[in-house]
Amino acid sequence: MSLEIDRFSHIESSIQRWDPRIKILSLGFFIFVAALLKTIPVAVISLLIAIIIIKITNIPFHFVANSIKWIIIFLAPFFLILPFSYPGGAAFHVIGLPFAWEGFRLAILIFTKALAIVLATDAIFGSSRFDISMIAMQRLKCPRVMVQMVLFTYRYIFVFIDEVKRMEKAMRSKGFVMKANMNTLRTMGNFVGTLLIRSFERTERVYSAMLSKGYQGDLHSLVTFEAQGKDFVKAGLIVLLTLAVLVTDMIKIFHPAIQGWY
Amino acid sequence: MHIADGILSVPVLAAGFGGTAILAAVTMRKMGHEEIPKVSVMSALFFVVNFIHIPIGPASIHLIMNGLAGIILGKRAFPAIMLGVILQAFLFGFGGVTVIGVNCVMLGGGALIAYFIWQLRHLFPLGDRLEMIFGALAGAAGILVSGVILALAVSLAGEEFWATADMVLVAHIPALIIEAIVVGACASFLKKTKPDLLAGQVRKRILKTS
Repeated sequence: MSLEIDRFSHIESSIQRWDPRIKILSLGFFIFVAALLKTIPVAVISLLIAIIIIKITNIPFHFVANSIKWIIIFLAPFFLILPFSYPGGAAFHVIGLPFAWEGFRLAILIFTKALAIVLATDAIFGSSRFDISMIAMQRLKCPRVMVQMVLFTYRYIFVFIDEVKRMEKAMRSKGFVMKANMNTLRTMGNFVGTLLIRSFERTERVYSAMLSKGYQGDLHSLVTFEAQGKDFVKAGLIVLLTLAVLVTDMIKIFHPAIQGWY
Repeated sequence: MHIADGILSVPVLAAGFGGTAILAAVTMRKMGHEEIPKVSVMSALFFVVNFIHIPIGPASIHLIMNGLAGIILGKRAFPAIMLGVILQAFLFGFGGVTVIGVNCVMLGGGALIAYFIWQLRHLFPLGDRLEMIFGALAGAAGILVSGVILALAVSLAGEEFWATADMVLVAHIPALIIEAIVVGACASFLKKTKPDLLAGQVRKRILKTS
């Protein structure tokens, strides 16, 4: 399992060359609007825009497929629950359960929007190195402590995944098999406890090393950002497209699949 | 255990971000940079532990461990979980970006309540099993509070989601039981091996003998 979101940030494309600060702001606006959409056709358009953006970044499909996989796992239940639980008229019955098209449309809308949002997020954070994205967040007035903690956590995640794999291997080689019983659960508790102790001790060592090298709560970086005309043109393009999507959604051409707030 | 993008209405999303901002401001007050690594460790662990799946019959369930974060970090559990949620949203759209606020309130709120319950153990002198019992209660409380907040948020999205909200609550029952046992075992393990990791220890007064 490879989780590094910035694995393909070295690929050359106009999204990768985009100033991260402006990229985060304009695609962030796109994400926000996509979450508000109420009609399926417009949601599909926003999904197409997201697909085009991710296509421009040249990020390979298997990387994007990984995040899509999670969205499908999360949202698949809605296709089963919503059509059969939508209050009001049922179109027909499936093995005695009322099936309502409204519920089915609602599930499609939710799914399309979520897909568009995930693709746009991949485009933002998959196209710059993670530390550079974080420095950009700091320039965008994100609290310093938060940014520092995100950077630490991001580093630790990969260390801990390795640690978990090592410990699992050790347990398996001693004959441990996961079953649905008390013993497994108690062992899992001890597993998590051991993982905690090991991680904290490792971190304490790292932290003392950092202190002895003069760490005082700041990370210094040589990265500088310089927004050029091109960056603003790209931002303008995205913002215009997003506004067009929002307006099409609001002027009731299409029948909304959900009751909205505007 | 997460809610995904595109379901909740805008006021609920806004309330989530507002609640997160307030809770973050309260729980991160006076946080020195020496605390940053400890909190980061817990959020990385929270992130990784979410991948540990335990089989129940044909399905499997994953650990959430927000209660554990509460009994280890105390009120600093909130920023830790907030970071975990933010990274999960960014690294693979686990949940989603617009629902970060709601997910933080849901999981972090559970952690804070779990800490509160964990602290109640000082009122009950139960001896050896004290940590195990209150660890289990705290683990269960973390899931219970999160499940209720999640069901509330979903049902506020509209009448068509009420059945979904019911199912969310039912689905949390096995998670609650498993989490209670695992956190209870973990708390008693930590008490035996490295008790200073646990939050809210009463420091024994050193008596001066002159």
